Amino acid sequence: MRTEEMIARLACGLRPVRRMPSPLVLLALWTLLAAAVIGLAALVFGTRAGLDRPMTGFETMHSLAALLTALLAGLAAFELSLPDRDRRWAWLPLPAIGLWLGTMGVGCVGELVRLGAEGIRFHVSWHCLQFIIGLGLPMAGLMLWLTRHAAWIRPLPVAGFGALSAAAFASIGLTLVHPTYGPLMVLAWHGVAVLAVTGLAALFGPRLAWRVPA
Amino acid sequence: MLASGQAARDARDLRWSALMGAAQEGDGAAYATLLAECLPLLRAICRARLRDATEAEDAVQDTLLTLHRVRHTYDPARPFRPWVAAIAERRALDRARRRGRQVARETLLDDAAELGAEGEAEERLAARQLREAVGGLPQAQRTALQLTKIEQLSLQEASARSGMSIGALKVATHRALHSLRRRLTGDAP
Repeated sequence: MRTEEMIARLACGLRPVRRMPSPLVLLALWTLLAAAVIGLAALVFGTRAGLDRPMTGFETMHSLAALLTALLAGLAAFELSLPDRDRRWAWLPLPAIGLWLGTMGVGCVGELVRLGAEGIRFHVSWHCLQFIIGLGLPMAGLMLWLTRHAAWIRPLPVAGFGALSAAAFASIGLTLVHPTYGPLMVLAWHGVAVLAVTGLAALFGPRLAWRVPA
Repeated sequence: MLASGQAARDARDLRWSALMGAAQEGDGAAYATLLAECLPLLRAICRARLRDATEAEDAVQDTLLTLHRVRHTYDPARPFRPWVAAIAERRALDRARRRGRQVARETLLDDAAELGAEGEAEERLAARQLREAVGGLPQAQRTALQLTKIEQLSLQEASARSGMSIGALKVATHRALHSLRRRLTGDAP
Protein backbone atom coordinates (compact mmCIF):
# COMPACT_ATOMS: atom_id res chain seq x y z
CA MET A 1 0.00 0.00 0.00
CA ARG A 2 1.28 3.47 -0.79
CA THR A 3 1.86 5.73 2.20
CA GLU A 4 -0.47 8.46 0.91
CA GLU A 5 -3.19 5.84 0.54
CA MET A 6 -2.58 4.71 4.11
CA ILE A 7 -3.01 8.28 5.37
CA ALA A 8 -6.37 8.54 3.58
CA ARG A 9 -7.49 5.26 5.19
CA LEU A 10 -6.38 6.29 8.69
CA ALA A 11 -8.17 9.63 8.41
CA CYS A 12 -11.36 8.12 6.99
CA GLY A 13 -14.04 7.74 9.67
CA LEU A 14 -11.70 9.02 12.38
CA ARG A 15 -13.12 8.62 15.88
CA PRO A 16 -12.62 11.08 18.73
CA VAL A 17 -10.27 9.86 21.47
CA ARG A 18 -10.08 10.66 25.15
CA ARG A 19 -6.75 12.30 25.94
CA MET A 20 -4.45 10.60 28.44
CA PRO A 21 -4.48 12.20 31.88
CA SER A 22 -1.20 13.87 32.84
CA PRO A 23 1.47 11.67 34.52
CA LEU A 24 0.77 13.34 37.90
CA VAL A 25 -2.95 12.50 37.67
CA LEU A 26 -2.05 8.92 36.70
CA LEU A 27 0.35 8.74 39.67
CA ALA A 28 -2.42 9.86 42.04
CA LEU A 29 -4.76 7.22 40.56
CA TRP A 30 -2.06 4.56 40.83
CA THR A 31 -1.33 5.48 44.49
CA LEU A 32 -5.02 5.22 45.35
CA LEU A 33 -5.30 1.82 43.64
CA ALA A 34 -2.16 0.54 45.39
CA ALA A 35 -3.44 1.79 48.76
CA ALA A 36 -6.74 -0.01 48.13
CA VAL A 37 -4.93 -3.28 47.29
CA ILE A 38 -2.70 -2.99 50.39
CA GLY A 39 -5.74 -2.23 52.56
CA LEU A 40 -7.47 -5.31 51.18
CA ALA A 41 -4.38 -7.46 51.85
CA ALA A 42 -4.19 -6.16 55.44
CA LEU A 43 -7.84 -7.10 55.89
CA VAL A 44 -7.29 -10.61 54.50
CA PHE A 45 -3.96 -11.40 56.25
CA GLY A 46 -4.55 -9.32 59.40
CA THR A 47 -2.11 -6.71 60.70
CA ARG A 48 1.00 -7.67 62.65
CA ALA A 49 1.38 -7.32 66.40
CA GLY A 50 2.97 -4.10 67.66
CA LEU A 51 1.77 -1.95 64.78
CA ASP A 52 0.63 0.72 67.25
CA ARG A 53 4.20 1.08 68.65
CA PRO A 54 5.89 4.25 67.34
CA MET A 55 8.48 3.58 64.63
CA THR A 56 12.19 4.06 65.32
CA GLY A 57 14.14 6.60 63.28
CA PHE A 58 15.62 3.82 61.16
CA GLU A 59 12.21 2.25 60.50
CA THR A 60 10.81 5.62 59.52
CA MET A 61 13.66 6.21 57.08
CA HIS A 62 13.26 2.73 55.59
CA SER A 63 9.52 3.20 55.08
CA LEU A 64 9.94 6.71 53.69
CA ALA A 65 12.59 5.46 51.24
CA ALA A 66 10.23 2.70 50.09
CA LEU A 67 7.39 5.19 49.67
CA LEU A 68 9.62 7.61 47.75
CA THR A 69 10.80 4.73 45.51
CA ALA A 70 7.20 3.69 44.85
CA LEU A 71 6.12 7.25 43.97
CA LEU A 72 9.16 8.33 41.94
CA ALA A 73 9.47 5.01 40.03
CA GLY A 74 5.76 5.29 39.27
CA LEU A 75 6.14 8.87 38.03
CA ALA A 76 9.15 7.88 35.90
CA ALA A 77 7.13 5.02 34.36
CA PHE A 78 4.22 7.34 33.49
CA GLU A 79 6.49 10.05 32.07
CA LEU A 80 8.55 7.58 30.00
CA SER A 81 5.35 6.02 28.68
CA LEU A 82 4.72 9.21 26.67
CA PRO A 83 6.68 9.44 23.41
CA ASP A 84 7.87 13.04 23.74
CA ARG A 85 9.15 12.96 27.32
CA ASP A 86 12.82 13.26 28.15
CA ARG A 87 14.67 9.98 28.74
CA ARG A 88 16.31 11.57 31.76
CA TRP A 89 13.13 10.89 33.73
CA ALA A 90 14.73 7.48 34.25
CA TRP A 91 17.23 9.11 36.64
CA LEU A 92 14.55 10.48 38.97
CA PRO A 93 13.92 7.40 41.16
CA LEU A 94 17.58 6.38 41.45
CA PRO A 95 18.42 8.32 44.69
CA ALA A 96 15.32 6.93 46.40
CA ILE A 97 16.16 3.39 45.21
CA GLY A 98 19.71 3.86 46.53
CA LEU A 99 18.40 5.05 49.90
CA TRP A 100 15.94 2.16 50.11
CA LEU A 101 18.55 -0.48 49.26
CA GLY A 102 20.93 1.31 51.65
CA THR A 103 18.49 1.04 54.57
CA MET A 104 17.97 -2.65 53.75
CA GLY A 105 21.76 -3.11 53.79
CA VAL A 106 22.15 -1.20 57.07
CA GLY A 107 19.34 -3.33 58.55
CA CYS A 108 21.16 -6.48 57.50
CA VAL A 109 24.48 -5.33 58.98
CA GLY A 110 22.71 -4.26 62.20
CA GLU A 111 21.17 -7.71 62.52
CA LEU A 112 24.52 -9.33 61.83
CA VAL A 113 26.18 -7.29 64.60
CA ARG A 114 23.31 -8.02 67.01
CA LEU A 115 23.03 -11.73 66.34
CA GLY A 116 26.56 -12.63 65.24
CA ALA A 117 26.94 -15.94 63.39
CA GLU A 118 23.38 -16.85 64.34
CA GLY A 119 22.16 -14.06 62.10
CA ILE A 120 23.63 -15.47 58.91
CA ARG A 121 22.09 -18.91 59.24
CA PHE A 122 20.39 -19.59 55.94
CA HIS A 123 16.67 -19.81 55.82
CA VAL A 124 14.08 -18.86 53.25
CA SER A 125 11.45 -16.36 54.30
CA TRP A 126 8.57 -17.84 52.33
CA HIS A 127 6.09 -15.53 53.97
CA CYS A 128 8.02 -12.48 52.80
CA LEU A 129 8.52 -13.87 49.29
CA GLN A 130 4.91 -14.95 48.92
CA PHE A 131 3.59 -11.63 50.14
CA ILE A 132 5.71 -9.37 47.93
CA ILE A 133 5.43 -11.57 44.85
CA GLY A 134 1.76 -12.37 45.51
CA LEU A 135 0.89 -8.72 45.96
CA GLY A 136 3.54 -7.22 43.69
CA LEU A 137 2.70 -9.18 40.53
CA PRO A 138 -1.03 -8.30 40.38
CA MET A 139 -0.11 -4.71 41.20
CA ALA A 140 2.52 -4.76 38.44
CA GLY A 141 -0.24 -6.05 36.12
CA LEU A 142 -2.38 -3.08 37.13
CA MET A 143 0.53 -0.76 36.37
CA LEU A 144 1.01 -2.39 32.96
CA TRP A 145 -2.64 -1.74 32.23
CA LEU A 146 -2.23 1.94 33.19
CA THR A 147 0.80 2.29 30.90
CA ARG A 148 -0.34 -0.02 28.10
CA HIS A 149 -0.12 2.69 25.42
CA ALA A 150 3.64 2.86 26.08
CA ALA A 151 4.30 -0.67 24.84
CA TRP A 152 5.01 0.69 21.41
CA ILE A 153 7.59 3.24 22.39
CA ARG A 154 9.83 2.39 25.40
CA PRO A 155 8.46 -0.86 26.81
CA LEU A 156 11.44 -1.94 28.91
CA PRO A 157 12.03 1.05 31.24
CA VAL A 158 8.28 1.58 31.61
CA ALA A 159 7.70 -2.06 32.63
CA GLY A 160 10.79 -2.05 34.89
CA PHE A 161 9.99 1.16 36.77
CA GLY A 162 6.28 0.29 36.89
CA ALA A 163 7.04 -3.06 38.50
CA LEU A 164 9.57 -1.52 40.89
CA SER A 165 6.90 0.93 42.00
CA ALA A 166 4.48 -1.97 42.50
CA ALA A 167 7.07 -3.97 44.46
CA ALA A 168 7.90 -0.96 46.64
CA PHE A 169 4.21 -0.47 47.44
CA ALA A 170 3.93 -4.22 48.16
CA SER A 171 6.87 -4.00 50.55
CA ILE A 172 5.17 -1.13 52.40
CA GLY A 173 2.13 -3.39 52.62
CA LEU A 174 4.37 -6.10 54.03
CA THR A 175 5.43 -3.89 56.95
CA LEU A 176 1.77 -3.79 58.00
CA VAL A 177 1.45 -7.56 58.25
CA HIS A 178 5.02 -8.78 58.87
CA PRO A 179 7.88 -7.47 61.07
CA THR A 180 10.24 -6.47 58.24
CA TYR A 181 12.94 -5.22 60.59
CA GLY A 182 13.37 -8.69 62.08
CA PRO A 183 15.81 -11.39 61.07
CA LEU A 184 18.55 -10.73 58.57
CA MET A 185 17.22 -13.27 56.11
CA VAL A 186 13.81 -11.61 56.07
CA LEU A 187 15.42 -8.38 54.91
CA ALA A 188 17.53 -10.25 52.35
CA TRP A 189 14.50 -12.10 50.97
CA HIS A 190 12.59 -8.87 50.96
CA GLY A 191 15.19 -7.51 48.52
CA VAL A 192 15.15 -10.73 46.48
CA ALA A 193 11.35 -10.57 46.18
CA VAL A 194 11.45 -6.94 44.99
CA LEU A 195 14.08 -7.84 42.41
CA ALA A 196 12.04 -10.87 41.30
CA VAL A 197 8.88 -8.80 40.71
CA THR A 198 10.81 -6.06 38.92
CA GLY A 199 12.77 -8.52 36.79
CA LEU A 200 9.73 -10.63 35.84
CA ALA A 201 7.72 -7.59 34.84
CA ALA A 202 10.60 -6.07 32.86
CA LEU A 203 11.08 -9.40 31.08
CA PHE A 204 7.49 -10.32 30.30
CA GLY A 205 5.67 -7.01 30.75
CA PRO A 206 6.52 -5.56 27.33
CA ARG A 207 5.40 -8.78 25.60
CA LEU A 208 2.13 -8.85 27.53
CA ALA A 209 1.50 -5.14 27.09
CA TRP A 210 2.21 -5.50 23.37
CA ARG A 211 -0.88 -7.67 23.09
CA VAL A 212 -3.16 -5.23 24.92
CA PRO A 213 -4.90 -3.03 22.35
CA ALA A 214 -4.07 0.58 23.19
CA MET B 1 17.12 35.14 7.80
CA LEU B 2 17.65 32.68 10.65
CA ALA B 3 15.02 34.41 12.75
CA SER B 4 12.45 34.20 9.96
CA GLY B 5 13.19 30.48 9.55
CA GLN B 6 12.65 29.94 13.26
CA ALA B 7 9.41 31.95 13.13
CA ALA B 8 8.17 29.79 10.24
CA ARG B 9 9.00 26.64 12.20
CA ASP B 10 7.22 27.98 15.29
CA ALA B 11 4.15 28.82 13.20
CA ARG B 12 4.21 25.34 11.66
CA ASP B 13 4.51 23.70 15.09
CA LEU B 14 1.54 25.68 16.37
CA ARG B 15 -0.44 24.71 13.29
CA TRP B 16 0.46 21.01 13.74
CA SER B 17 -0.51 21.11 17.44
CA ALA B 18 -3.88 22.64 16.52
CA LEU B 19 -4.44 20.08 13.73
CA MET B 20 -3.64 17.18 16.09
CA GLY B 21 -5.94 18.66 18.73
CA ALA B 22 -8.71 18.71 16.11
CA ALA B 23 -7.83 15.14 15.05
CA GLN B 24 -8.22 14.00 18.66
CA GLU B 25 -11.73 15.47 18.54
CA GLY B 26 -12.43 13.29 15.47
CA ASP B 27 -11.73 15.77 12.63
CA GLY B 28 -10.60 13.44 9.79
CA ALA B 29 -9.76 16.26 7.37
CA ALA B 30 -7.43 17.93 9.90
CA TYR B 31 -5.81 14.55 10.53
CA ALA B 32 -5.23 13.88 6.81
CA THR B 33 -3.74 17.36 6.36
CA LEU B 34 -1.49 16.92 9.38
CA LEU B 35 -0.18 13.51 8.31
CA ALA B 36 0.45 14.70 4.77
CA GLU B 37 2.37 17.73 6.06
CA CYS B 38 4.42 15.55 8.45
CA LEU B 39 5.34 13.03 5.79
CA PRO B 40 8.57 14.75 4.64
CA LEU B 41 9.74 14.97 8.27
CA LEU B 42 8.95 11.28 8.89
CA ARG B 43 10.71 10.26 5.69
CA ALA B 44 13.78 12.31 6.61
CA ILE B 45 13.99 10.67 10.05
CA CYS B 46 13.50 7.13 8.73
CA ARG B 47 15.91 7.57 5.81
CA ALA B 48 18.59 8.84 8.17
CA ARG B 49 18.45 5.49 10.00
CA LEU B 50 17.67 3.12 7.13
CA ARG B 51 19.67 3.33 3.92
CA ASP B 52 17.32 1.09 1.98
CA ALA B 53 14.50 3.23 0.54
CA THR B 54 11.87 0.48 0.78
CA GLU B 55 12.78 -0.27 4.39
CA ALA B 56 12.63 3.45 5.20
CA GLU B 57 9.17 3.78 3.62
CA ASP B 58 7.99 0.72 5.59
CA ALA B 59 9.28 2.42 8.76
CA VAL B 60 7.30 5.55 7.80
CA GLN B 61 4.17 3.41 7.54
CA ASP B 62 4.95 1.74 10.91
CA THR B 63 5.28 5.23 12.37
CA LEU B 64 1.89 6.28 10.97
CA LEU B 65 0.24 3.18 12.45
CA THR B 66 1.82 3.76 15.88
CA LEU B 67 0.97 7.45 15.78
CA HIS B 68 -2.63 6.51 15.00
CA ARG B 69 -2.71 3.97 17.85
CA VAL B 70 -1.26 6.31 20.49
CA ARG B 71 -2.84 9.55 19.30
CA HIS B 72 -4.59 9.91 22.66
CA THR B 73 -1.17 10.32 24.37
CA TYR B 74 -0.50 13.67 22.66
CA ASP B 75 -1.04 16.76 24.81
CA PRO B 76 -1.94 19.75 22.54
CA ALA B 77 -0.35 22.10 25.09
CA ARG B 78 3.05 20.64 24.13
CA PRO B 79 4.90 20.91 20.79
CA PHE B 80 3.86 18.25 18.25
CA ARG B 81 7.20 17.80 16.48
CA PRO B 82 9.14 16.09 19.35
CA TRP B 83 6.18 13.74 19.91
CA VAL B 84 5.98 12.58 16.31
CA ALA B 85 9.77 12.55 15.87
CA ALA B 86 10.22 10.28 18.91
CA ILE B 87 7.77 7.77 17.43
CA ALA B 88 9.46 7.84 14.01
CA GLU B 89 12.93 7.39 15.57
CA ARG B 90 11.70 4.41 17.54
CA ARG B 91 10.01 2.70 14.59
CA ALA B 92 13.02 3.24 12.33
CA LEU B 93 15.30 1.83 15.03
CA ASP B 94 13.03 -1.22 15.47
CA ARG B 95 13.09 -1.89 11.74
CA ALA B 96 16.87 -1.46 11.56
CA ARG B 97 17.29 -3.99 14.41
CA ARG B 98 14.88 -6.44 12.78
CA ARG B 99 16.79 -6.10 9.52
CA GLY B 100 20.06 -6.71 11.36
CA ARG B 101 18.68 -9.91 12.91
CA GLN B 102 17.43 -11.09 9.50
CA VAL B 103 20.84 -10.55 7.94
CA ALA B 104 22.46 -12.50 10.79
CA ARG B 105 20.02 -15.39 10.25
CA GLU B 106 20.65 -15.40 6.51
CA THR B 107 24.38 -15.60 7.16
CA LEU B 108 23.80 -18.53 9.51
CA LEU B 109 21.74 -20.28 6.84
CA ASP B 110 24.54 -19.78 4.35
CA ASP B 111 26.94 -21.34 6.82
CA ALA B 112 24.53 -24.20 7.52
CA ALA B 113 24.27 -25.02 3.81
CA GLU B 114 27.93 -25.89 3.84
CA LEU B 115 27.20 -28.61 6.38
CA GLY B 116 24.60 -30.28 4.15
CA ALA B 117 25.01 -33.63 2.42
CA GLU B 118 25.75 -31.95 -0.89
CA GLY B 119 28.83 -30.14 0.41
CA GLU B 120 32.04 -31.88 -0.52
CA ALA B 121 34.63 -32.09 2.23
CA GLU B 122 37.15 -30.10 0.21
CA GLU B 123 34.68 -27.35 -0.55
CA ARG B 124 33.75 -27.09 3.11
CA LEU B 125 37.39 -26.91 4.06
CA ALA B 126 38.03 -24.22 1.45
CA ALA B 127 34.99 -22.26 2.62
CA ARG B 128 36.19 -22.46 6.21
CA GLN B 129 39.67 -21.33 5.22
CA LEU B 130 38.16 -18.42 3.30
CA ARG B 131 35.99 -17.42 6.27
CA GLU B 132 38.97 -17.59 8.61
CA ALA B 133 41.10 -15.59 6.19
CA VAL B 134 38.37 -12.92 5.85
CA GLY B 135 37.93 -12.93 9.63
CA GLY B 136 41.64 -12.17 10.01
CA LEU B 137 41.49 -9.01 7.89
CA PRO B 138 41.41 -5.56 9.51
CA GLN B 139 37.90 -4.14 9.98
CA ALA B 140 38.21 -1.50 7.22
CA GLN B 141 39.31 -4.13 4.66
CA ARG B 142 36.48 -6.48 5.71
CA THR B 143 33.95 -3.67 5.27
CA ALA B 144 35.35 -2.68 1.88
CA LEU B 145 35.29 -6.31 0.70
CA GLN B 146 31.76 -6.87 1.96
CA LEU B 147 30.35 -3.75 0.27
CA THR B 148 32.20 -3.76 -3.04
CA LYS B 149 32.67 -7.47 -3.78
CA ILE B 150 29.96 -9.35 -1.86
CA GLU B 151 27.11 -6.80 -1.97
CA GLN B 152 28.48 -5.47 -5.27
CA LEU B 153 27.62 -1.87 -4.47
CA SER B 154 29.05 0.90 -6.63
CA LEU B 155 31.98 2.78 -5.11
CA GLN B 156 29.73 5.78 -4.51
CA GLU B 157 27.15 3.67 -2.69
CA ALA B 158 29.78 1.81 -0.69
CA SER B 159 31.36 5.12 0.26
CA ALA B 160 27.99 6.53 1.42
CA ARG B 161 27.25 3.39 3.42
CA SER B 162 30.63 2.99 5.11
CA GLY B 163 31.65 6.62 5.48
CA MET B 164 35.00 5.78 3.82
CA SER B 165 36.25 7.85 0.89
CA ILE B 166 36.27 6.25 -2.58
CA GLY B 167 40.07 6.28 -2.59
CA ALA B 168 40.23 4.58 0.80
CA LEU B 169 37.70 1.97 -0.36
CA LYS B 170 39.76 1.16 -3.46
CA VAL B 171 42.95 0.80 -1.44
CA ALA B 172 41.26 -1.29 1.28
CA THR B 173 39.64 -3.63 -1.29
CA HIS B 174 42.91 -4.05 -3.17
CA ARG B 175 44.81 -4.82 0.05
CA ALA B 176 42.08 -7.22 1.22
CA LEU B 177 42.20 -9.22 -2.05
CA HIS B 178 45.99 -9.22 -2.04
CA SER B 179 46.06 -10.42 1.56
CA LEU B 180 43.48 -13.16 0.90
CA ARG B 181 45.36 -14.40 -2.17
CA ARG B 182 48.56 -14.55 -0.16
CA ARG B 183 46.95 -16.45 2.72
CA LEU B 184 44.97 -18.93 0.64
CA THR B 185 47.61 -19.77 -1.94
CA GLY B 186 50.56 -19.47 0.41
CA ASP B 187 52.28 -17.02 -2.01
CA ALA B 188 55.17 -15.09 -0.59
CA PRO B 189 54.46 -11.35 -0.15
